[in-house]
Formats: sequence, C-alpha cells, structure tokens
Amino acid sequence: MSALRRPHAGVQIAVHAVVYAVALTMAVPFVWMVLTSLKTDLEAGSAPTWSTLLPEAAQWSNYVAAWGGGGRANLGRFYWNSTVVAVVTTLLAVAHNALAGFAFAKMRFAGKRVMFALTLATMMLPMQVFFIFAYVLCSWLGYVDNVQALVVPFLASGFGVFYMRQAIGAVPDDLLDAARIDGMTSFGMFWAIARPIAWPAITALAIFTFMNSWNSFFWPLIVVDSIDQKTLPLAVADLASNAYYSAWPVTMAAATILVVPLILLFFIAQRAFVRGVAMTGLKE
Amino acid sequence: MATAERDNKSAWGFVAFPMAVLFVFILLPTVLGLALSLFQWSGGALWTPEGGWALPRWVGLTNFERLLEDERIGHGLVNTFVFVIGSVPASVLLAFVLAVAVNAEWFRGRTIARTLLFMPTIVSIVAIGFVWRWVLNDGAGLFNWGLSLVGIDDPPRWLSEGYWPLVWITIVQVWRQIGFCLVLYMAALQGVPTSVYEAASIDGAGPWRQVRSITWPMVRPMTVFLLVTGAIGGLQVFDLVFIMTGQSETLYTTVLNLQVYDQFVLGSYGYAAAIGVLIFAITIAVTAIQMWAFRGEGRR
Repeated sequence: MSALRRPHAGVQIAVHAVVYAVALTMAVPFVWMVLTSLKTDLEAGSAPTWSTLLPEAAQWSNYVAAWGGGGRANLGRFYWNSTVVAVVTTLLAVAHNALAGFAFAKMRFAGKRVMFALTLATMMLPMQVFFIFAYVLCSWLGYVDNVQALVVPFLASGFGVFYMRQAIGAVPDDLLDAARIDGMTSFGMFWAIARPIAWPAITALAIFTFMNSWNSFFWPLIVVDSIDQKTLPLAVADLASNAYYSAWPVTMAAATILVVPLILLFFIAQRAFVRGVAMTGLKE
Repeated sequence: MATAERDNKSAWGFVAFPMAVLFVFILLPTVLGLALSLFQWSGGALWTPEGGWALPRWVGLTNFERLLEDERIGHGLVNTFVFVIGSVPASVLLAFVLAVAVNAEWFRGRTIARTLLFMPTIVSIVAIGFVWRWVLNDGAGLFNWGLSLVGIDDPPRWLSEGYWPLVWITIVQVWRQIGFCLVLYMAALQGVPTSVYEAASIDGAGPWRQVRSITWPMVRPMTVFLLVTGAIGGLQVFDLVFIMTGQSETLYTTVLNLQVYDQFVLGSYGYAAAIGVLIFAITIAVTAIQMWAFRGEGRR
C-alpha cells in the first residue's frame, strides 16, 4: 500500500465525494434499467417525476414477456444458445490454451520459437482484415449458422496461450525435473504440477474467456443468420430495434436478463475478475 | 537426448490444435484479407458444377481509389478520430485520478467503490447501448428529467441531432473504459515502492506534489500501455456506435469499422477489405507515433 501523505480532512472528504459521485454515475443507468423493467409501458413512456421514479406496482410480467411467455421476445431459447456457446468455449479454450502455454513454457520442441512468434502476432492482427476470410472459411466448412462458428475459432487465442505461458513459467523447474526422472508423462506433469500452481491464472483466464464469449456481438452478427441460432446479445439487439421498439420496459427487462449472469459471476469471483482484467496489462 | 525427443512429440501434441485454430481463423485470413483488398469479390463458392469457376476478380488499386472518393469514408475517418481523441485520454486520466484516490490508505469503502466503477466494464455493450439510449430518451429519459430539475427545459435531441450522438457515444465510451483503466492502474500502483514516498515526505513534499512528481512518473509505463491499447481499440470501434445509433448511422455518426461492416453485408468483400487495410494502416501509424512520442519511457 502506498504511503502517500495524508491530505487535510477537508480534502479527504472532497475526494470521497468525487469518487462516490463518479461511482454513482456508473450505477445509475443500471438502476434505471431495472426500475424501468418493472414499470408499465404507460408509466415508462411519460416524462419522469419524483413520484414516478419507482414503479407503482412491480410488473414482473415484463420479464415473462421478455423470456418468452407472451411470445414477444422468447429470450429463453437464446439464453440457452448463449450458455452452451460460452460454457463449451470456456472449457475447451482454457484447456487448449493452458496445454499450449505449458508446452511453450516448459518443453523443448522443434519450431517452438517460430510458433510462439506466430502466436504473439495473432494478438496484433486487425479483426477488420481477417474477419472476412474467417467468415468465408467458416462458410466453406459449413459452420455458418451453426454453433461451431461461435465456438471453434475461439478454441485458442494468442492472448490465452501467452498468458498461460507466463503463468506456468513461474512453476519451478526442479519440480518438473524430479517428476520427469520419476517417469511422469508430460500430460501428467501438466495436470499434477503445473495446473494446481497456475490455478489462479487459469480461473482468471476462464472468467475472461466466458465474459468475452457471453458479450460477443460483432462475430455472431456476422456468422448467424437464422433466428434459431442467435445468441442473447443479438436477440436483445433485435428486440430493441424491431416492432416492439417502443416497449421500453420489456427491452429493459431483456437487458437486465442479459446483464445478470455476469454481474452475479462478478460478485462471486470478484478477485479473479479483477485479476483477469489486470492481467491484460501483461501484454505489455 | 531421450527426454528432449519425448518432449518434442508430446509438445506438438499440446500445441498442434491451438496453432491450427490460430492459423486457420486468424493468420491465413489476415494474409488472404490483405490480398483481397486488390480484388473484387462477393464471397460464395469458388467453383460450382452449374456455374463453373467464380474467382475473385483482380482490380488492382481500384478499391483504394474508391476510398478517396467515398464521402462516408471521409466522415468515418473524422468521426473515428474524434471518438478516439475524445475518449482515450479522458478515460485514462480520470482512471488515474480515481485509482490514486481509491488506493489511498485513508480511503473508506475501497471495495464498493472499485466494484461500482468496474461494473460497466463487464457488461455487454448491447445492454450498455440500450440503457444509455433509454437514459437519453427525448421525452421519457432520466437525463432530460435531471436537466429539467436544474432549469434546462429545451435540450437538444441527444441521439438524433447533428453531432450530439457522436458526443454521447464518446462520453459513454469514457464511462465504460474507466473501470478497466482503473483496475490496471491499481495494479500498477502496487509497484510503487513506499520508500520513495517516505523520502519525499521527509523533504516536505505535500500529497499533491507527491502524486504529480512520484506517482504519475512511476506508473508512466501503464499510462503508455493504456493510451496505446485504448487507441487501437478505439480505432476499431463498432458495437457501441451500431447499438447507440439504432443500427442506422448517418454521416455524423459513422465510423470506419461500420463502413467495413456495411460493405461486407452488401457483398463488396474487396472494398470492405480495403477499408480494413486502411484501419490497419492507421492503427500501425498511430501506434508508431505514440511509441515514438513516449520513446524510452515504455519500460523501466
């Protein structure tokens, strides 16, 4: 902790006021989102007054409508799509990135330097240039409009491999050498030694991968055509720009549904989350 | 060496699939995409039994000549720069100030403040875009209600009038980037040794002086990192504009990446690739300029 000199009490109070004012600015739109999601269309549609900030009676039916009960949005199915994509991507991607990171950190093999340089290069390449052929390749592979298009391209990432290499690099070589002499296989060493030691980094990467997959918008917009395969962000975007555009309470209920899993995950695993973001600084 | 040989086999077993994914979905498409900017093509199968060959047609620099005449590209370029210049330094500077404050020993409620400040960072841009559109709604918006409380009754139409949408998109970007920058700054602040502050205290430096003369220079590598990566991300902005303009951008709000998307959807893959190459070139140039401006200070 820094030992910055203590300013006067007045300054301290002013600093608290400013920080909490900014923090409140972060929260207010979300609070407004939830409040609106519980109002009637009429309540939400008129200019706010002090007495109408809170809904008169909580309209849970907006959530039913958004989820699919009233047939207005049918988010339930898209929830399922997004969950499958995010969970499968996270599990497989973290496993692949961790194994590749282990190989780059602790093993010797032909072509290692070139492969690692290529891995780093992928972090700097512009999506605007490569998405076109990524799409074309997906369409040739028959992935377009299939769940594969949302999962397979993300099963490895330059950043994931790099981060895992950094984290596993901290595992002491002595441990691995001893295990090797005992005749342990490479996978055994990864599983029994590297994995437990690098576990905090692995969870951080898992959360980060899940977050990116869940929130992903541009790529699904490109590769998903039919309504059946849409992910939750696409469905919410559609909901708000189609005929029900004016129904802000249902839209806000949908936005709340979209946001809730990550907020929950964030509160459960805040430390890992913060570390997950802090580690992006490692790219430097 | 027996072990090295065994390493070789199983190491390739670990690396082969991830490398294949990166090769097929990033490296190869990048090379092909760069080349595509010199062709005219609208995708689809290269050969079909009925239609025969349907190869991309070589057009040389035609796509790039078209860039120069396309007014949407000109506006997109200007708007993208306004967005980057308006949002990146502001979010980095604000995050630094907030990080120093929240990190101070005497700050009460560090966790709750950090949680709130960080929240927009984890939330889907789709949700953020719609929530802000609703907050800024002309008739029923929370923001205009707040303005009416302080006596401003005739505000502009924030999301449809002239350059106001772009201004708000930039503000929302600052709003959602602060938490990300804050967390990285808080990590960087842990690396500033306490002894430096103590020495400065003995020399009579006040808190303001300490922040300016010690903290700010000490976290400079992080500042450079945030400015460079912020600019790279900002030059590629898409989602926020797409959502906040209701998928109907105008010359006042269009950005380069939206033009890539539009051309892609229209089936002008070659022209879309050319715009992508333009963004890539600008990104490299901006990064190089920043690296040059901060030369020798990126690392300690």
